[in-house]
This record gives sequence, structure tokens and C-alpha cells, in this order.
Amino acid sequence: MKIVYSWLKEFLPDVPSSERLEELLAGLGIETESIQSLAIPHSKIVFARVLHVENLEGREVRKLVVDIGQEVQIVSGAPNARAGMGVVLALPGTVLPDGTELGLRKIAGVESYGMALSPKELAVGEYAGGLIEFAPDALPPGTPLAEAWGPDEVIEIEITPNRPDWLSVYGVARDLAALGMTLIHPDPKPKTTPIALPFQVWLEDTQGCDRFTLSYARGIRVGPSPVSVQRRLYAAGMRPISNVVDATNYTMLELGNPMHAYDARYIREGLVVRRARAGEKVVTLDGQERTVDERDLLITVKDGDLTRPAGLAGVMGGADDEIQDSTTQVALEVAHFDPVMVRRTAKRQGLKTEASYRFERGVDPDGQIRAADRCLDLLQAWSGSGVEVSHTRIDHNHTQPAKPIVFRPEYTSRLVGMPYDETEQLEVLRRLGCTVQPTFQEGAFEVTPPSHRVDLTLEEDLVEEVARIVGYDQIPITLPSFFPHPDNLGVDEPYEALERLKQVMAGLGFQEVLNYSWSSPEECALMHAPAPTVFMQNPQTADRTALRTALYPSLLKNLQTAFAQGENGPFLLFEIGNVFNQTETTHLSALICGDPVPGLWQKGLGEGFFALKGLLEAAAQNLGSRVRVERELQPYLHPGISGAVYWNDQKAGHIGALHPAIAAALELPGGIQVSTRPEGDRPQVFLFELALPLSKGPILFSDIAKYPASMRDLAVVVPESTSYVEVERLIRAHAGERLVGLEIFDVYRGKPLLEGEKSMAFHLTFRHPERTLTDLETDGFMQSIIAALEHTGYTIRK
Amino acid sequence: MDVSAALDEIGKAPTLESLQGLKVQYLGKNGLVTQEMKTLGKLSPEQRKEKGRVLNEWKQALEGALEARETQLKEQALRAKLEQETIDVSLPGYAFPSGGLHITSLIINELLGIFRGMGYSVVQGPEVESEFFNFDAINMPEWHPARDMQDTFWASLGNPSGSSPVDGEGKGFTIQGPFGEGVNNLGQAVLRTHTSGMQIRYMIQHTPPFKIVVPGRVFRYEQTDASHEAMFHQLEGLVVGPDITMADLKGAITELARGLFGKEGKARFQPTYFPFVEPGAQFAMWWPERQKWLELGGSGMVHPYLFKAVDDYREKLGLPRAYEGMTGWAFGMGVERLALLRYGIPDIRYFYQNRLSFLKQFKQ
Repeated sequence: MKIVYSWLKEFLPDVPSSERLEELLAGLGIETESIQSLAIPHSKIVFARVLHVENLEGREVRKLVVDIGQEVQIVSGAPNARAGMGVVLALPGTVLPDGTELGLRKIAGVESYGMALSPKELAVGEYAGGLIEFAPDALPPGTPLAEAWGPDEVIEIEITPNRPDWLSVYGVARDLAALGMTLIHPDPKPKTTPIALPFQVWLEDTQGCDRFTLSYARGIRVGPSPVSVQRRLYAAGMRPISNVVDATNYTMLELGNPMHAYDARYIREGLVVRRARAGEKVVTLDGQERTVDERDLLITVKDGDLTRPAGLAGVMGGADDEIQDSTTQVALEVAHFDPVMVRRTAKRQGLKTEASYRFERGVDPDGQIRAADRCLDLLQAWSGSGVEVSHTRIDHNHTQPAKPIVFRPEYTSRLVGMPYDETEQLEVLRRLGCTVQPTFQEGAFEVTPPSHRVDLTLEEDLVEEVARIVGYDQIPITLPSFFPHPDNLGVDEPYEALERLKQVMAGLGFQEVLNYSWSSPEECALMHAPAPTVFMQNPQTADRTALRTALYPSLLKNLQTAFAQGENGPFLLFEIGNVFNQTETTHLSALICGDPVPGLWQKGLGEGFFALKGLLEAAAQNLGSRVRVERELQPYLHPGISGAVYWNDQKAGHIGALHPAIAAALELPGGIQVSTRPEGDRPQVFLFELALPLSKGPILFSDIAKYPASMRDLAVVVPESTSYVEVERLIRAHAGERLVGLEIFDVYRGKPLLEGEKSMAFHLTFRHPERTLTDLETDGFMQSIIAALEHTGYTIRK
Repeated sequence: MDVSAALDEIGKAPTLESLQGLKVQYLGKNGLVTQEMKTLGKLSPEQRKEKGRVLNEWKQALEGALEARETQLKEQALRAKLEQETIDVSLPGYAFPSGGLHITSLIINELLGIFRGMGYSVVQGPEVESEFFNFDAINMPEWHPARDMQDTFWASLGNPSGSSPVDGEGKGFTIQGPFGEGVNNLGQAVLRTHTSGMQIRYMIQHTPPFKIVVPGRVFRYEQTDASHEAMFHQLEGLVVGPDITMADLKGAITELARGLFGKEGKARFQPTYFPFVEPGAQFAMWWPERQKWLELGGSGMVHPYLFKAVDDYREKLGLPRAYEGMTGWAFGMGVERLALLRYGIPDIRYFYQNRLSFLKQFKQ
């Protein structure tokens, strides 16, 4: 909301400079977005009166003869240019706000002594469809506009939704006055004439509209508003239309009540305020035909037995009853509508207006008469000397008085944590317009907020008022001290586990990435990930229509980006984040691409599946856990290099090489079509994805070994299809409890083994905790292992 | 025998091998000194005594010289060997990858560290949230104008009967309540617009007093530009107990300011409005390095509406009402914003583009 400084000063004569004002407003809870000086027009921009307008044959532009103390001619394309109007003329030599310097120009072969300006050209508004229009006698011809538009400022403030009472100049002044400044209360008194009202009002829905006033004025001459008024409207972000419409807008900006002026000719018998019928149509001021239903409140014109829609209550007036140049009588509606109904109607219609914005937040239900009088006052001032205001008006009032709030000053001190004086608290509330009554209970008062403070309903609201006016800067700082209730103990564990996992992954050389939670069914399909289950109703882009079901697609896209950026690997990326399948769960995914430890000028330490698996194993060891991988197919993994990850024997996810089809689709390494893949070529993106939380391994202390270990080596010949883990499991199962170490140190294929055979060689370590093992005992363990292996069909290499 | 010539010869022996030869030549079984020794028996006792003394002196001198030369030669050899083993230590080592955390994680860790020092627990909540927890329960019903402050991503959940709207493969999605119960029926599904819904979830699950902070992703339906992202992170704080005051809130935020900005760090509070607090305050922190205030978040005393919503929910689950007579405060702040300001990052979109050249810069 934009507040014009001089306007505010009309209500607060002692208002401090704008910088100090900004601080005061902040202390009240009003944030200042900007303070800007209003531009003073260039000295060669003057007021001019159009004497006559001449069409130029075959041209769209016209020749205007204007009076600037002397007659000059200009050329203008503005459609609203006409004889008898006042305009703003930029003379040759003017530097326009956009920096262009005007010279004497010839347009369409006619010399133009300057240029008549639109709001946009003068940089006071966005409108470029016509000239700024003043009354012909607004200023003496040739007067520099700067004489009328002197120094002023506009302060743009941000209004929180709870404080609709700040949505006016007077409202802001009123709150500032609670800090101790003198406030001039508006007390408009239009001169009335005894005239009967030519209309009636039937209020059929007192829930949707609990206050409806309709005033009457006649003898109006529609024309431009005064020069100074137009400047304020522009500064506040509104476009002047005509003195009647401007008077309603000006009053709304000043006092906060939205209002609507009808051309009284169209009102006929009067207005009916009623719910719409399903499928009913209204043409609003913006020219749109809108379909409404029983949830919407309409203002309708009674025409015999019919009621014709004339506006969406609290949102926008109708097109039919608009004020026109020929309007001479005005019916002025100032009402109060149900905030929720207005909000819902505005939302359904996708229509946000100055009126709906105010009504849905809450307009003062008791400010209608004052606002109507102010507007009528302005009409009398701006719309000619013959304006007659009826001495009477229609006022249907079903508003409920504000409810008193029980207020204990002691509670303020308790909730805020500082001692406030009771008298001071009550004084603050009175300054804010509340009435304070004692109750029979000591220390408790009944506080009735003023009608404009629709936000004050709870004792806590009053606590805030006291704290706010006394100043938040007065509140001391303390630290609470208590023992948490026992059911809060241990709640940190899940997050701590995630943090630990992140640290371990980063420590092993992985860079953490954080990706958007979005994906799309198409992307999931491309990446062979599960189909999404959560979809966006209002997606921002086509690739963000759903939520991701796995993390690895994001990592692959990061890899794509890295290649596109010309980054050289190796890449080691990981992410911990939430995925959305049947429920929301947390995953860890990691990938490597390239030799994770390149040697640069020497040989690297080796890439491939076992580099990633080694890192996974190191992570597990770091976390006191065991990890095992067993062959298992997974759609996103290379069918030959794909396994299930068992973390402490619980299945946690998968590891393997990226499926070549996905790699090909993403143009990542390893994406060569299977059929043309040369022998020995290996996919180059390896990845794993695990569901969290991962189980914790127990810490089982055993005393430091005091007796020497016995070592034995064992080579087992097995078929090619036999996996390491099968052999390992067999050995462990039959070695007995003295086996303390098992390590594979060779996998061999070739002579003298047969085709389709391989040999795995193990170092085995045995140890007894309390004595040295004899050779005989160790031989016994070996025999039992060998027997089991041979029983399974394997042979022992001697 | 010329002993001084022999000593000279030993001192100049070029190698360990030649030294060994000299040792044999003089002191070996058939060495010159040994030979001389053998002749002693033939001499008279006086002569023997005299000659014996001389021979012993020779022997000791020779042995000493041999040993000295041996040590010398061994040192030379070692030096030569080490010389040979010299490598160019200025060459780079194996390029072990240096991993790291995302800048958002780093900032969150820093913030959490400060709060953990004050005894807060860290918990997290879900990103897909029901309208109830994200809005209604925190005093933002559907008709509330405050909903305009937060543009929302609305979600539809895959058809629970089994088929997803797209390819029939996906199954339904269940939003889980505080105790894992399905809450799909509590309004529409949304991507949470703030972490504040976790206030409700945590209070339903736990009994006051407690102190928690909640880091997490949030989503706003915003056009993205250098200062707006549709996804960002918040840190939420909540303290509830029988006598929690606004002064406690100021204390915690002041301590946060000092944790972030050192001993000159301080906090400033100004009234503002959030439906879920009353009184409400926005806070700024003083950044000594740049001598300016940074608006970092919103806070206030927990609105009584929230306590009631929590107790009503608890009651439905058969839990006792635990929040009557309690007071509490909550705050929420943007995580990325702090990083943007502190490091002078010009564009918030850098955060989730995940360019390595960006991410790798934040290490300490």
C-alpha cells in the first residue's frame, strides 16, 4: 500500500520525517518497502488548455491548438484530445522522465510545439491510452505543473493480512497516534438538501451483508478531478477517471471503506442485495461476463418483478450502471460484506480488486456513514457548485457490536516475560481506541476493541498490542531452563543417524548434492524408476509434474550437467533425500563415474564396480555395520552387474552398473548399444541406492588377543556360476567359532582348471581367546571346512 | 712389518670387500700379525713380553682402523643408496577425491550446532503434507487471507485403488500422521509451504516441556529468479512449557545471532503477523562485518489455536490433553538466505543446480 506523505500529514500534523517515520512504522509492525520522492515535473512542462482540435486529412494524429498564455499548435494522436480540456504540455526543451529531450518537431508535416502527455509519458502511471486530463480552468494556462505538484513523498508499506485497518491513510495515522502523536479525526459534513430518495434497498441476505448504506446526490457535473487530487491518486497507484469515480477511490484510500457510485438513472426502484441463482450471469466493470451461483452475493437492480445483476458484492461493480459523462445523479453504496464470502467469490472468479482485498480482510463495519459523507463532501467540492446531497439515506444495519475480551494485565507480564505496569497497559489499550471496563474479578478487565480492529478477539491479541506500543525493544532476553518431559528423550536419533551418514559419505570422497523433489512420469520411465504416486495439480514445468520415486535419476542428471559444463571426472556424488512411493521415505544414493582415485601422472587405483562397492563397504565399516551384496536384477542396473545390498543382513537397496539403455538415453558413458558393444568394454557409471534408516550394528567388545593366531590358506575350485558369497557362507558355517578372519586373495581361471571353472583362494585365521591353538586343532577345523566344500561338489586345489 | 703403511692402506680401502681383504691380510688366521704372534713362543720371556706388547698395540690399532673405515664405508654406501632412491616429491599425489557437504547442509549444521549447544533436539517432518497440518491446524483455514502469503503446490495422490493416472503401475500414496496413521482424509495434499506443520505433529506426539528445532525442505509456487526458488529450506524452532515467555524467544534468537556473527551479534524484533503466533515478531540480526541488519525470519508466541488443535487431535487418538495452560514460542527462518547474504552468492538458483564448480567452493 502506498501512503502519500502530505496526505498522512493532514491527519498527523506532527508526523516526523520519512526516515524517522520508517522506524516508527517498523515498531508498530508495518514494514516499509520503499520511500520515494515524487518527481517534480520539469520546468518546461506546463498546463495548457485545448482551444480546438483539427483532423489532419488521412492521418491518425490531429492538430491541437492550445493556450499556454499564448496560442501554440501541437500534434497529438491521443483519442481523448478535445476542445475545452486541460492537458499537460511538454514544451520544446523539456527533458522527459525517460530521458528524451523534446525539440521542435514536425509530425505529419505539421509543426508541433511540444507534446501533450499521457500518464505514462509523464511517468506517473502505466496508462498510455490517452492524455492526462484536467479541468479547463484547473490552472492559469502556461503555469508550470511543478507549481502545483511540489515536493512530496510516497511511502510504500507492506500490510499484514490481520490489519485491514492499516489499508488507509487515516488508518495508518490512527495507529501512529497511539504512540502519542496528535490525530486529526475526520469529520466530514456535506451540505444537505431535503430531497426524497428516488430508490429503496431490499437487503435479503443479512449474513452476506450486515451493513448497507445508499446515499443520494444530484446536480453533478462529471469532469476531471483537481490537479492535486490526481497527483495523489497516481502516487497511490490509481488512475484518475472522473471526479465521481475518483471521489470514491480517494475516500477508500483515505478512510479504508470501498464504495461504489451508481448512475442513479439505472437504479430504478432500487437495489436488492441477494444471493445469486445458479448459472446467473453478471457483466462486471471490466467487461467480463461472469457466471455465478448460490454461494455468491449480488447487488441487483429491481425492475418490476425482475432483479437485474448490477455487481458482485464486495468485488466489482457492474458494467451497466457505470458513471458516464452524462451522469448527473449518483447513488453511493457504502456497505460491509462477509469477509469469507467475498474471498471465496473473488477466488472463484479469479478477480482481485481493491475492494475485495479490503473486504476479505475486514472493513470497519461502523465506518460507512463517515465514508459516505466524506465522499459526498468531495463530490460537492469537485463536481460543480450545484451538487445537492439528500438529507437522508438508506442504512440497513445488522452488524454485531464488538465482543469484549477478558484481559488480565498480569498475563501480559507473564507471557512476554517482563513486568508491565497495569495502568500503563490500560492506557495503551485506550489510546488504541479500546474501551476498558473493570470486572468483579480483581486484576481482570473487559476490553472492547474499536470497530475497525477486527483482528482483536483474544487476550493474546491485547498482549501484543501492549507489547507493540510499549515496544518490543523493551523486552529483556532470558534463556529458559527446564528438564524436558521424558517422552522427548531420544527424538534426535533419526536425524543424527542421517548426519553421521552424510559425514561418512563426504569423508570417503563423495560430494553431496541436493536436488529438487520433482520428477515426472516420463522421467521415471526413462530412468526405469518406479512410476510416481504424487502428482502436482499445478506443476510449474512439464518436467516437474510429479514427485520423485528414487534419487538416482537426479544424480544421473547432475552427471549430465557436469559433462555439459565440461567438468572432468572422476565424479563421486551422493544425496540423502526423501522419495515418494507408497509413503514418504528417505533414501541414500551415490554414484561414481571414472577412476575414483586417478593417479594423474601414474597409474590410478582402479575404477569399476568394485571401487564403488569398496566405498560402500568402507562406509558400512565406518558405521560399525556389515554389508553384503547378492546378485539380483534391478531395472535400472546392468543385468550382469546388479545386486541387492544387505546391510547387517537386512535388504536395504541395490548396487550395480547403470543400465546401458539409460546411459545411452542420457548420453552418459557406458551407453553403447549392447549389440554393438565391443568385447571388454565396461559401463562406466556405477551407483547404489539404499532405503534409510540403515540398521545399526551393535558394538560388541572382546578383549585384545593375547594368544597367537593360526593361519591357513585354502583354494577352492568351483563352477563359474558360483558366487563368492556362497563359498564364504559355506566356509563360515563349518569353520567353527575359532575362525576370526576370512579373506579372499585370489580368483583364478585357466590351466590347469577346466573351462567353466574358477578357483578362489582364501586366507583363514583361527584363534582361541584363552590359549594357543595346536596344529592338530587347526587341522581339525580345516578338515571340517574341506569336507563341507567337497560335499557340496567343490574340489580343493592342492 | 710397516704398521703405519698398513693403517694408511686400511684408511684408504675403497670398498667393504677390499677392507675385508685387508682384515684377512693382517688379522686373519694366516695374517701378518697372526704370523708374528706365532713366532712369540720362540722368544725369551723378556723379548716375548716386549714383542707381545708391541704386537697387541699393532693389533688394536689395526682393529680400530678397520672398524672406523668400515663405519665410514657403510655410511657412504647408505648415502649413495638413499641418493639413488630420491624421488620428485613435488609431483602431485594420487588424486583422492575430496568429498564435501552441500552448502545447505553446511549452513544447517552450523545452525543446529548453536541450538544443540542450548539443549535443543533436532527432528524432521514430511515434505508432502496434508492441508490440515500445513494450514488448518496452524490457524490458516481455507478462507484465511494469510494463505495468500504462501503460494502453494497442490498435489494429487495416486489412486489408492491401485492405478496411477499415468501408466497404471504406481500404487496409492499415504500421507502419514504423527503416529504413522493415514491422514489423506485431512484436506488436500500439499508440498509443505513451511516447516510449521511439524509444530503440530511434534506436539501431538510429545508432552511438554521440550525444545526442538526442525530443518527441512519447503516449497512455494513462485516464479524462480535470482532471489526466488520454488524449493528452499527452513529451520523451525519450538519451545513449549509451563512458563515460556517472549523474553525466552528473544534470548534464543540473540544467542543464535551471537553464534552466527560472534560477540557483536545481536537481534532485533519488530511486530508482525503470522496466523500461528500471537504476539508475533519478525527478527533481524546484526551483521557486524557489514554493519547492517539482516531480516532472517518470523517468530512469536504459539497461538492458543494451535494448542487446542493439538489437544483435540490427541484426544481423538485417546491421548490426554497436554497443552492447556502451556505457553511456548516458535520461530522459522530461511536457510539459503543466510548463505546468500553471508557469501554474497548472487543467485539462489545456484543452490540446486548442483554445479560442482559451485558446490566445491564451500569447504572449511
